[in-house]
Amino acid sequence: MIRTLVLFITIYLALFAQEFIPPAPFLDGARLLLVPALFCYGALWLPFPGVLLLALYTGLLSDFSLLQVDGNQVEIGLGWTMLFYVFIGSVLHILRQTFPTLRWEIHSLASGSVTLLLLLAQYLMVCLRREAFFVDGTVFWQIFGPALMALFIAIPIYFFLKLFPGGIAWRRSQDELTS
Amino acid sequence: MSKLHLILLAIAIAIAVGFLALPTSVMKSWQARFLDVSTPALEAGSALSDRISKLNTGLKTLDELEADNAALVAQNNQLRATNQLLSEAEEENKRLRAALDYRDRSAFKLLLAKIISRDASSWWNTMTINRGFSSNVNSSQPVLTAEGLVGRTTTVAKDVSIVLLLTDESCRVAARVEGTNEQGILSGRRVNGNAAPELVLNFLTRDAKLQPGMKVFTAGVSGAVFPAGIPLGTVKEFQARELDGQAIIEPAADFSRLEDVFVVLGSQ
Repeated sequence: MIRTLVLFITIYLALFAQEFIPPAPFLDGARLLLVPALFCYGALWLPFPGVLLLALYTGLLSDFSLLQVDGNQVEIGLGWTMLFYVFIGSVLHILRQTFPTLRWEIHSLASGSVTLLLLLAQYLMVCLRREAFFVDGTVFWQIFGPALMALFIAIPIYFFLKLFPGGIAWRRSQDELTS
Repeated sequence: MSKLHLILLAIAIAIAVGFLALPTSVMKSWQARFLDVSTPALEAGSALSDRISKLNTGLKTLDELEADNAALVAQNNQLRATNQLLSEAEEENKRLRAALDYRDRSAFKLLLAKIISRDASSWWNTMTINRGFSSNVNSSQPVLTAEGLVGRTTTVAKDVSIVLLLTDESCRVAARVEGTNEQGILSGRRVNGNAAPELVLNFLTRDAKLQPGMKVFTAGVSGAVFPAGIPLGTVKEFQARELDGQAIIEPAADFSRLEDVFVVLGSQ
């Protein structure tokens, strides 16, 4: 329970914290995103209703921070990121049942993949709205750079969250495995 | 997945789709409320970030401070002298305008604002400033520095506002090139990466005689957000395309070092 609370609070704080982290010059100005890595921990650890709740919560907060309203036009409206996290959370929940236990390697790989998919989906939507699609080196690094960084930042996030008591969620998933 | 899980999944999807169906105005007002609630977190983050950057800069020695002070005194004297000359010119301008029965051109009322944060997303160039509707800021108001235009406000909350930067692809400004009849639409690029941001001026005539270094200003067409005459940047290069001409513009404002900006509230 404590870990779940910490997870929800950390996601809220991380949403603002990542705005103050400067871009990485060695990855063509790519930004470090903390929220997808935190969400992945919850998606791999919480029971399914918790995953859905976390997906709606994370998606709503992300949508509020991403929402660009220009006159009456919205590029990515409220709800898209919620839908994305609900879908990804469900997939991760199914995938985790193939692993006997949650390990940092799984969390790291999931964080990198989810960050990659999130940025790819956002870019495709922006291209559709602006009716122009192109890919160059900068676009590539703006998508792959944060995904690469997520692989590494997921490790301290995993061990930080493990500091807090919260075995209930994992035990439930173990029950799912044995049943 | 059990039946219960499928039902819960359907409910979650329905909630997300429900949000998607909201009208734009509702989305905007909810975002403003979210910004209101998040203002303390944003301001705390901004203060912490300032402290860390000050630590990085390090303390200056007495000699460096004295040199800075001497330079500032000299600059102050120069600016006072220039200001004096300009005041006289303004008086003369007013007299001549009155003599010719011209309409009095009013200056703009500027509101100083501090940048709290820069957007962490890859696809949009926005920032948050510490002024909102409690300081009479509205959406679609120009934001500038002493060097030139920075962008315009979009979502406005009580004490903070989001500013869409000029370097964003979706921020379009009607622009004219100094010393020519050329007018076009200026916008940013989709992604900038490490490189210094550049602007693109489209829809110029194909045979426009543009030279590097020519200044670009807002055109101030009727009904536009931006008044005429705000510096946008300088021409870097010009290329003729099949149907029109396109110029690459170096922004007048230094977007990598923005700290304080001014919101144009309206005529004084």
